[in-house]
Amino acid sequence: MSKNKTTLNKQWISLEDFENSSKFNEQKKKEFFDGVTDDFELSTLAPLSRRKFLALVSASAALAATACTDYKDKGEIIPYNKKPEDITIGKANYYASTFNDGSGILVKTREGRPIKIDGNPEHPINRGKVPNYVQAAILDLYDPERIKKPLQVKEGEKRETQWEEVDKFIVDNLKNAVNQAKEIAFVSHPIKSPTTFKLIQDFQQKYPTTKLYIYDLIDDQNRKIAWKKCYGEDFKYPIKWNEPDIIITLEADILGSDNNAIENIRLFSQRRDINNPKYFNKLYAIEGNFTLTGANSDIRIRINPAHTLEFVLAIINELFKKNKVSDNWFAIKDKVKNYNLDEVIKKYDLSAAKIDELINDIMNNNNKCFLYGGNALTVDTHIAINILNEIIGGIKFYNFDDINISFTEYSSHEELKALVKKMQMNEVAVVIHFDTNPVFHFMPELNYGKSLENVPLKISMTDLANETSQLCDYVLPINHSLESWNDFQIRSSLISLQQPVISPLYDNRQKELILLNWISLQTSDKIFDLYHKYLQLRWENEVYRQINSKTDFKDFWYTALHDGFIEFATLKTEKPSIRLDSINEIKTIVETKEEFTLLLCDNITIKDGRYSNNGWLQELPDPISKITWDNYASISPNSAKKLGLKNNDMIEIQTKSGNLSIPVLIQPGLAEMLVCVKLGYGRTFAGTIGSNNGFNAIKLMSLEGQSKFLYQNISINKTGEVYKLATTQEHHALDDEFVKDKHLERGIIKEGTVQQYIEEPEFLHHGAHHSFSGPDGKPLSITKDFEYEEVKWGMAIDLNKCVGCSLCITACNVENNVPVVGRDQVIRGREMQWIRVDRYYTGTPDEPIASLQPMLCQHCDNAPCENVCPVVATTHSPDGLNQMIYNRCVGTRYCANNCPYKVRRFNFYDYRDFFANGFYYKDSLKLAHNPEVTVRSRGVMEKCTFCIQRIMDARQEAKIQGQNFDGRNVKTACQEACPAEAIVFGNLNDPESEISKIRKHNLGYHILELLNVRPNVTYIAKLRNINTEDA
Amino acid sequence: MAVDYTQEAPVIEGNYSFRDISDIISKPMETIPDKKYFIALGISLSMFGVGILCWILTFVYGVGKWGNNVPVGWGFDITNFVFWIGIGHAGTLISAILFLFRQRWRTGIARFAEAMTIFAVINAALFPLFHVGRPWLGYWLFPYPNNYKLWVNFTSPLLWDVFAVSTYFIVSLIFWYIGLIPDFASLRERTKNKIKKVIYSIFSLGWRFSHRHWHNYEMIYLILAGFATPLVLSVHTIVSFDFAVSIIPGWHTTIFPPYFVAGAVFSGFAMVQNVLIFIRKIFNMEDIITIDTLEKMNKIIIVTGTMVGYAYGMEFFIAWYSGNPPEQFAFLNRAFGDYAWAYWIMVTCNVVFPQLFWIRKIRRNIIIMFIIGVIVNIGMWFERFVIVVTSLSRDFLPSSWDYFKPTLVDIGILLGSFGFFFTLIILFTKTLPVVSIAEVKAVLKQAQPSHHGEAQNG
Repeated sequence: MSKNKTTLNKQWISLEDFENSSKFNEQKKKEFFDGVTDDFELSTLAPLSRRKFLALVSASAALAATACTDYKDKGEIIPYNKKPEDITIGKANYYASTFNDGSGILVKTREGRPIKIDGNPEHPINRGKVPNYVQAAILDLYDPERIKKPLQVKEGEKRETQWEEVDKFIVDNLKNAVNQAKEIAFVSHPIKSPTTFKLIQDFQQKYPTTKLYIYDLIDDQNRKIAWKKCYGEDFKYPIKWNEPDIIITLEADILGSDNNAIENIRLFSQRRDINNPKYFNKLYAIEGNFTLTGANSDIRIRINPAHTLEFVLAIINELFKKNKVSDNWFAIKDKVKNYNLDEVIKKYDLSAAKIDELINDIMNNNNKCFLYGGNALTVDTHIAINILNEIIGGIKFYNFDDINISFTEYSSHEELKALVKKMQMNEVAVVIHFDTNPVFHFMPELNYGKSLENVPLKISMTDLANETSQLCDYVLPINHSLESWNDFQIRSSLISLQQPVISPLYDNRQKELILLNWISLQTSDKIFDLYHKYLQLRWENEVYRQINSKTDFKDFWYTALHDGFIEFATLKTEKPSIRLDSINEIKTIVETKEEFTLLLCDNITIKDGRYSNNGWLQELPDPISKITWDNYASISPNSAKKLGLKNNDMIEIQTKSGNLSIPVLIQPGLAEMLVCVKLGYGRTFAGTIGSNNGFNAIKLMSLEGQSKFLYQNISINKTGEVYKLATTQEHHALDDEFVKDKHLERGIIKEGTVQQYIEEPEFLHHGAHHSFSGPDGKPLSITKDFEYEEVKWGMAIDLNKCVGCSLCITACNVENNVPVVGRDQVIRGREMQWIRVDRYYTGTPDEPIASLQPMLCQHCDNAPCENVCPVVATTHSPDGLNQMIYNRCVGTRYCANNCPYKVRRFNFYDYRDFFANGFYYKDSLKLAHNPEVTVRSRGVMEKCTFCIQRIMDARQEAKIQGQNFDGRNVKTACQEACPAEAIVFGNLNDPESEISKIRKHNLGYHILELLNVRPNVTYIAKLRNINTEDA
Repeated sequence: MAVDYTQEAPVIEGNYSFRDISDIISKPMETIPDKKYFIALGISLSMFGVGILCWILTFVYGVGKWGNNVPVGWGFDITNFVFWIGIGHAGTLISAILFLFRQRWRTGIARFAEAMTIFAVINAALFPLFHVGRPWLGYWLFPYPNNYKLWVNFTSPLLWDVFAVSTYFIVSLIFWYIGLIPDFASLRERTKNKIKKVIYSIFSLGWRFSHRHWHNYEMIYLILAGFATPLVLSVHTIVSFDFAVSIIPGWHTTIFPPYFVAGAVFSGFAMVQNVLIFIRKIFNMEDIITIDTLEKMNKIIIVTGTMVGYAYGMEFFIAWYSGNPPEQFAFLNRAFGDYAWAYWIMVTCNVVFPQLFWIRKIRRNIIIMFIIGVIVNIGMWFERFVIVVTSLSRDFLPSSWDYFKPTLVDIGILLGSFGFFFTLIILFTKTLPVVSIAEVKAVLKQAQPSHHGEAQNG
């Protein structure tokens, strides 16, 4: 048994083995049998083993494969180890705050980085809307050219330094200046923050030789001075634009470049509600320049601003003649008796019919008219305007319950002259530029830049290098609005809070913090929160007490932060009474020779030049001229003819203080013998984007004269050079019969008058030949139409409300990552904006009527772009959207060719890294992108999506909530930004929605209906409030 | 001049034996190219090089290097495409349609015209494939099974283009090659060079001049001619659909298909005539490609030119008759708008100058007919430019109107396409028989047995 067992357990390979032969056992100890390895010689073998060979082959194949892919290392992705409480990845957070201009804003942040700024919907002034430069400010925050560390200029060379070093040096110098009784000049824009103002006062207390100099390039000094002369008090009243029935503006762009335009547009457009046509207001724009206000006016009276005073006095006289003026005004009757309206009309070739209508309207609308003069007018003209406004009862449209707050007064010209003189006399030891750029902004006569050399310590607090920081010893980087703590008060009724939504991106500090630290130097670890605490303390001591809140301060503070502002009770001020003798202040009018007048004006984009380095703003076309990137001298067609000028010809404008070469733009409707130039352009040190755009008209300004914006008797010479202006819309001669009035002929613009509409609400659709409706009311088609069963999107744009402010364009740019292409590409006709505002002229070149029309993808049901794409890159969604599939697009451009609205945009280059003055693709700028929207690459078509990312977001939200998605509460970016609420968007299949109601409105029409492409954007025809019989 | 109308004029002038014909036609392939040849090649290669450089710039930076903008999405690219496809038209017309109609005079020019077709179509096909924004994805225009499960859009005329052009190219190539087989065999027999012999042997596919071969050859040639005939009409019809199917005024026109075909034949004949004038002179083929043949081509030019002129007029009439204001404006704009200069160049070149061919002397004058041929091709290039650019530059919304201005790169690519075309032609003249040896022999007098005993060399 035992033997058997061993046998079973033993494996054997041969009989020898089984028998345990000794020979075999010996053999077994060797690895190979004899002779097997005879041929095996190590040295003759290939050095590469089979394994190694296979390994090498597969490795190189893998390497080749990876080398062929476009895999790029995207860097590490680090998930939150501990998720911050408020942040959910993929979900936006919103914070109420305030922009540095006082606008109440709502900042959208994603994963902690701000990506969009909109107005705070609850803010009583903004009501959710902000100006272009605030919308576009996201780009400024991430501007790669921001100064990242404090800079010290030593022997002409800039070097980065440390805050401790800077602070210590400057504080020593400030102390020395005080000890030596030398001035510390503090140059600032008007202070809008009560806390900043208190801080400056504290600073002044610590350094008593500090003197404040306050300026703005574009100010309303003349209106203020005139008001003071007329009423004996400061002008501080906002205007209730929604109340007067008849608004008469004189050289005032209340709906365009005015600083308060956002509120103005909102109030103005409330009176342009098509459901209440009798309530329409009537706007007279009396102006020389062609402004947005003129474009939106019902009647535009063209007059050279040099003649406005005469005109106003003549109207007063006319009203006297017609016994419109009450007896207690007789004191001034004599004063105006020499101004005869008919003579003025004749002398300046004004439109008698329009002025007749104006006089009639004034006569028939007691206490319903309001008169408003623009910043450029002289003090005398403003006095006359105030008097006329009193006569017609317009004074009551000023808001006496909620007044404008200003903590500082503008420095007078004399003060500025004195500053320069002191600088030259070496009496100024330190000059602090508190985020200001006087070297650029001050008039050449002041010679500020040269005088600055005499100041031993020049400090510039700025986020971007500018003309002034270029000449300073210390350049201190400051925070963006979104990185700062502060409060702002622009009206007596409310005070708003600014809170940081991102920590400072670089080694920059808030400018208030820098000052605060100079008052008492702190160690670096305490600095971070210094101003925040200062602000809180002031609020606790002052605001909190004033409000008399029942909650404790902490709750109060957090509530205020959450809301972004707190409101105070309105305060009633007395309506001031006019001094009749103020008319004596008006100097007799000097007859002007037949010479040109120069009008310098504001713009809606880069303002006084401080937003120059923002591509989105530079590329935003002027709403009337459609020119981007540059300013120009606009001149009337007749005057141009007289001088032999064509568009793009360079002229030299000469005033007493300087001269400027600038290209010409022939602007229909401009007053004769008038040249208009926008200010703020022509920066020389403003970064890659901002430098060398346009021409610096400040060179033409002078301290002398009655208005800093208006110069008479200037000379103009053609230089013979040509400078090509970049425009987004071709300029046609208005009297060219060949191309004239095509927009009317083709039904692109349809307009009527209020009277017409009241009498015949269906007037728009009379004589419409192109009706594609069958007997059942459904559009005719040879194929079966797709049934949109759930949601179908549509948009309506009310052209009565739309003023053409272009905010929709900026908002769309920010929301949809629209690239900036640069001047040369705009010249080539390749701008990328998804929505544009088209401008058409009707009438004569002298008296044109402008019509503005936002144009975007119409999301046609029968979209002509869809069937021509060979690769199905553009398709229709079941909810009626015309969609663009970027990664399928090969770029044949056929869809764009076949689009009758030409709203498709093509990436001719990779616009994100190709252009020096375009949208550059540097690290920090990537952060500005909306993560929900694909960044398009070269060779791809793109266009308006109706903000599909917002639609999908809402759909997803509804799904999560378990609700049926009804399409309510979806707002497109353009709609959200529109201050006039002219854009309506929503679900057409929802009978309750605003869009489905407005779509059926009598005034609704589609553009190019004759093509039967069935667009889904309805335009509401504009009604002009004019007397059809008379005019 | 007394013409004997009782007898058909001989296609080949002079008295040539079969051997003479073989000698004349194969001579260019059997002699070493001279200096002039290299100069000509050098010029065309330099033009081609400029084109390549411009293409590379476009590839690297994008279509932005061209003048195209937003209303004018297509500029020189599609203009060139349609132009070259048009040039290609004469070849198939001559080889297929004229073959079916038993026009014996085509024998002298058919081979060359076919070669030009192929080169022109290659040239043309480059444009739609590479004019796109992302040329590396140009192959997405072809319907091929893929893992994305994506298919092409069969409603897009651009896709029809892809099919039309590729079909046309393949059929033309096969047709051309079939015709070359007997000639390859002749060359194989003649050559003493071993390498050439191998090459010719391969390409002649074992042709032994047997009766059965000839029988099959004639059959397949006839079938292919029948197959190619509708293609002559279809290709340019479909190319015209690119425009006609769209909704842009000036494009959306039903006259486009016949008008495009006529225009294509017009420009194709002008180009063939131009090039053959050089070929017959340089290679001493004046008796094979006779003045009579050239005159016949000029007659076709005047016919098609007049058709094109009629189409120009009819477009205006229909625009007026339609009562469609944008349509009316589009045509007025052509004649009087920003691009009026291009329109009037087109009209002068295409309608006025070819009418000179009514005069027999001009029809038979080599220098004048050459100049008119050049003018016709300039005119036809401008015709495409006018259609593509003018219509786009001013369409429905005046707000989006813009002017197209070509860049240097645009011009470089146009130059390059001519360089490419002529390079291929110049290489062709030295590598393959520019005239069909077999077919010319078939139209010699001695190939026509007669009872009058005129045949001498039998």
